[in-house]
Amino acid sequence: MEQSEVMERVVKILTPWVKDEAALGKVGMETNILEDLKVNSARLVDVVIAFEDDFDIEIADEDVDLVNTVGDAVNLISGKL
Amino acid sequence: MTQSVSSDDPGELDPGRARAKLVEKTSDSHPEMVRAHARQRAVSMIAGPIWVGVSVVVMRLWFRYRIADVRRIRREYQQIRAQSDGPLLVCANHLTLVDSFIIAWALGSGTYWLKNPDELPWNTPESTNFGKTVFARLLLFIAKCIPITRGGAREDVGDVLERVKFLLAKGETALLFPEAGRSRSGRVEERAAAWGVGRIVGSIPGCRVLCVYMRGRNQETWGDFPAKGDTVEVALTAIEPKSDAKGVRRSRDLAQQIVRQLIRMEEDYFDARQ
Repeated sequence: MEQSEVMERVVKILTPWVKDEAALGKVGMETNILEDLKVNSARLVDVVIAFEDDFDIEIADEDVDLVNTVGDAVNLISGKL
Repeated sequence: MTQSVSSDDPGELDPGRARAKLVEKTSDSHPEMVRAHARQRAVSMIAGPIWVGVSVVVMRLWFRYRIADVRRIRREYQQIRAQSDGPLLVCANHLTLVDSFIIAWALGSGTYWLKNPDELPWNTPESTNFGKTVFARLLLFIAKCIPITRGGAREDVGDVLERVKFLLAKGETALLFPEAGRSRSGRVEERAAAWGVGRIVGSIPGCRVLCVYMRGRNQETWGDFPAKGDTVEVALTAIEPKSDAKGVRRSRDLAQQIVRQLIRMEEDYFDARQ
């Protein structure tokens, strides 16, 4: 799967949890999920589970520690496909 | 008194050895953190009972708080402790800034904590609330606190979780508020369950959770402090959360079981008041 396609799906999955919708318009690989998109940190687990379901992968707890930006999520998922 | 929430436990073949291995692994992978923990533990073994004693005096004389039937609660706590020598993670509902002090007061006397220093729970306060000055940071150090920045960099949060797992596996005790912050609705909120709690419980074989529900009789909702002169009711239940799920889903499942137990205890509290 192309990285751009993964990116598109990641952003789509993130959208319901994003509090700063304006930030979605300029989202990129460097966009911080918690700080820029204002996703509630307690809800990050739901986002990750949605990644698992959508891409049919399994993500370990420790993997989540590496996810700060949208690009981190895209790279993590791409590495498991 | 300990309730098992489900039947599966993949990591329970030899919990003691598995925990020893976890301690060994963390000592190899995080040597600096382990040394820092040993330093803070040494200081807090002496300072811990002192800050509990001082805070209880302040809470009793200045705030005029009381804990309803504190002797019974301490007996229950000791019975729960006696059931197993495995790790015990204390998880409580969270309505005020002094909840961790009230829990320390409710579970044991200063003398008890002096005799059992590793049972006095470590806390993970929000660093932006408490760690602003050097004096505050010193207080946090001696009061068995590991500051955490909620919503901060994932690696930093992960380091705090690693340390809590390490100290629990060693047989020390930690207190976490599974809702992550004070409940803005004044009630335990299942949706607020922080998965990090489940991640800790799920990674330590044989880890039990001591659920603590506490509420001042005049505590209508969340705030900084209970009302002056309030009497705090405290209830304890020990559980062993289990889950068949894997990865992040398992951690969320375990965290939700803990929060649901706190919700049941809250329902019992309000039923008893009617």
